Amino acid sequence: MKDAARDPLAQGKVVRPSRDKPRFTASGDDVFRLQEVTKSWPGEHGFTLTVPKLIIQQGEKVALVGFSGCGKSTLLDLLAMVLRPDEAGEFVLFTQKGEELNVMDAWQRKKLDSLAQARMLHIGYVLQTGGLFPFLSVRENIGISRRGLGLPLDETVEDIAQRLHIERHLDKLPGQLSVGERQRVAIARAMAHHPSVVIADEPTASLDPINAEEIMNLFTALTDEYGVTLIMATHDWGKLGERGFRRVEFGFKREPDQGSVRAKVFG
Amino acid sequence: MDSFQTVMRLALRDYLHERLLSACAIMGLAAVLAPLLVLFGVKSGIINTMSDRLIQDPRNREISPVGSGRYGADWFSAMRDRPDVAFIIPQTRSIAASMILYNKNSANPRTLVVSLIPTAEADPLLEQYGRISTKNTQVVLSEPAARKLNVKAGQGIIGQVGRSVAGVREQVAVDLQITAVLPLGAFSREAAFVRLELLEATEDYRDGRGSKIFGWPGSARPAGSRVYPSFRLYARSIYDVADLRNMLMDQGLEVYTKAEDIETVKSLDRSFNLIFSLIAVVAVLGYFASMVSNVLANVNRKSRYLGISSLIGFSTGNIIWYPMLQSIATSVLGFLTAVILYRLVAALINGLFSDYLSAGEYVCWLSVGHMMIALVLTLALAILASTYGAFRVSRIEPSEVIREV
Repeated sequence: MKDAARDPLAQGKVVRPSRDKPRFTASGDDVFRLQEVTKSWPGEHGFTLTVPKLIIQQGEKVALVGFSGCGKSTLLDLLAMVLRPDEAGEFVLFTQKGEELNVMDAWQRKKLDSLAQARMLHIGYVLQTGGLFPFLSVRENIGISRRGLGLPLDETVEDIAQRLHIERHLDKLPGQLSVGERQRVAIARAMAHHPSVVIADEPTASLDPINAEEIMNLFTALTDEYGVTLIMATHDWGKLGERGFRRVEFGFKREPDQGSVRAKVFG
Repeated sequence: MDSFQTVMRLALRDYLHERLLSACAIMGLAAVLAPLLVLFGVKSGIINTMSDRLIQDPRNREISPVGSGRYGADWFSAMRDRPDVAFIIPQTRSIAASMILYNKNSANPRTLVVSLIPTAEADPLLEQYGRISTKNTQVVLSEPAARKLNVKAGQGIIGQVGRSVAGVREQVAVDLQITAVLPLGAFSREAAFVRLELLEATEDYRDGRGSKIFGWPGSARPAGSRVYPSFRLYARSIYDVADLRNMLMDQGLEVYTKAEDIETVKSLDRSFNLIFSLIAVVAVLGYFASMVSNVLANVNRKSRYLGISSLIGFSTGNIIWYPMLQSIATSVLGFLTAVILYRLVAALINGLFSDYLSAGEYVCWLSVGHMMIALVLTLALAILASTYGAFRVSRIEPSEVIREV
């Protein structure tokens, strides 16, 4: 939807409950700016995703809404900088006030390490299922990015585990948890290093409605409190407005003669 | 650095977590390497000992002159300086090089005429048995001589030399000490190995001259250095025999060598080396193949975790060390397991054949140097195999693997 629903609570939440140095500043600034970004897979059942214009602001909650296969995951992976766009008029991640990473330029110059570095610092990613390391305890899974960044593991991990009601599972392995509990761990891991953006790919799709509802409430409350930008793919479009999400939708067109699909992002 | 350490930590935790699979990989590698170590242990143990013995066998290295010549001190010193000459000693006239040995200690005293053969330190024929005369009155007897005289090593025996001067028969005697008896395989005729001084004195005495060393009467030797009619010559190895023979024939000498036996031993040695080289090449290739399959299986199995590591933000340069560290750990642990297995088998083999071995001899034996070579080779192959694995890792697209079921 064109009118961005903004969560008033997110406004002004600039100082996160952490001793880390803030890596971003006031909300209202842009985090992502994309113009004329395309990604396509050739072939008979080819697929092309076009993003004419997408601007996401700091602290915003954005829902990517559409059918399965409409390109939600593709857009998420583009934003998470793990998928190389074919072309981009503009594709920028604003990291700090006045500092930006030209994502397209980094891809073109094969500066993959700086993209990886940006992912670790600024992005948290929640997959539809798991994505946890089965050989690490819940505590170590949650703290993995903090460890990678050389941040202390201290109470931050326990604090976030408490917020997601998984503190009693901290020393268990993911295999000992239910699917819902694993998703909470995945959310905790995506947020423990206080990234500026959390990307979630249908994080509650594999859960029962009651669990899904509870986890979604905890998740959005946490992103609101931390002032984190949340970009989430979902096909559960019922309560998006209530939770303060801006909707980004996908136009979908099948080429009759080629059998390929063209998708376009509106929002 | 934090990032690298974290990836290393992930790799190790993963490795420990699936310890059963890790153990399988380690055992798989050890199963290839252990028989290889045993094979090379046997090669460097009994096979090398055997072929060394054949190559070093003094009977094959001997070059004997046919007929008699005139060889002076200069010629002997020139020969002695050649690197391909292991041993050379002058021989006196064969007609004079004999002695009557008399064993009076026996219940029925025995006498025997034996040939005298000159010897000295480093004589290959005697050295093989560790028996060398160092004093002018010491002798080493051949087995037939000792048997007929009914004497053993350590006993005393009397040597007698006779001559007739102007129709008068004269004889001198010398007390000799038997230091050793050669086995029958070493020398088959009735002979006594003595120092050149005794041979020269015997020859001089028969020529009517005296000996200061042994106190035998006779006229004084005229001045001038001695010229010998013959010699005993041993090449350094069987591979030096042909060149030495050609050199001597160029000097106009006719010599006798065991060319046919040498050719047999050489071809046996070449065949052994070829066979072992082929086995080694096949085995190393198999070892490498087993490592590559290990690494690739690991990379494929771990692709989702590797993709997630990449998604989290670990750089490819760090992530490639994830499977690398694991395969290096597998290689080192596999190597250690193989060494333990090898040690057990080697101890068993050496124990089984202990009756046939003298001290310091092993059927199966590898030096520390050999082990280090095996370890370095293992690591080199592991790194080589991992390099391909690392290349595969760098090709992993996170977006393709993170949603795998």
